Amino acid sequence: LCLGTTRNNFEGKKVIHLEYEAYTSMAETEIKKICRDVRQKWPSIKHIAVHHRLGVVPITEASVIIAVSSPHRAESLEAVMYCINTLKASVPIWKKVCLE
Amino acid sequence: QVSVLYFARSAELAGLRCESLWVPRRITARQLWEEIVRAHPRLAVIQDQVVFAVRQEYVLLGDQLLVLQPGDEVAVIPPISGG
Repeated sequence: LCLGTTRNNFEGKKVIHLEYEAYTSMAETEIKKICRDVRQKWPSIKHIAVHHRLGVVPITEASVIIAVSSPHRAESLEAVMYCINTLKASVPIWKKVCLE
Repeated sequence: QVSVLYFARSAELAGLRCESLWVPRRITARQLWEEIVRAHPRLAVIQDQVVFAVRQEYVLLGDQLLVLQPGDEVAVIPPISGG
């Protein structure tokens, strides 16, 4: 499980909240590609869930969650890492940091 | 005629999120960007940071020839920051 949570500071300033926008149709397609890649690379994986909030996300709340299940922990942990890294590199979502 | 979608900083600079643009069917990515900047000169400042997504595939702002169909979606993609 990977949970991305809004931090309360950004470049030394206080964060009120983050705002996320997305190219939604393409983001969904890219996330599906990530899931397909995961199933190819780690065939023993049972379930995958990826969820990203859009709009305002206050501090301490989660903006992204990635959950993977498998018979043994190594594959899940590797797959979760792959998901979050690839999501950050390829899924068209943007955050706006709203400062105090 | 293509639909151009603007996101994040590019939407702020262009002042809009979506518009129709008349462009030649065969055009390079760089030329398409030039058309867009002609319509919205403030976008020039992010030229080195954006890529396109044409029919939801990423394309660099270079010499790649795009073969566009009427109604195709072209998105201006500033540096992504999800996750």
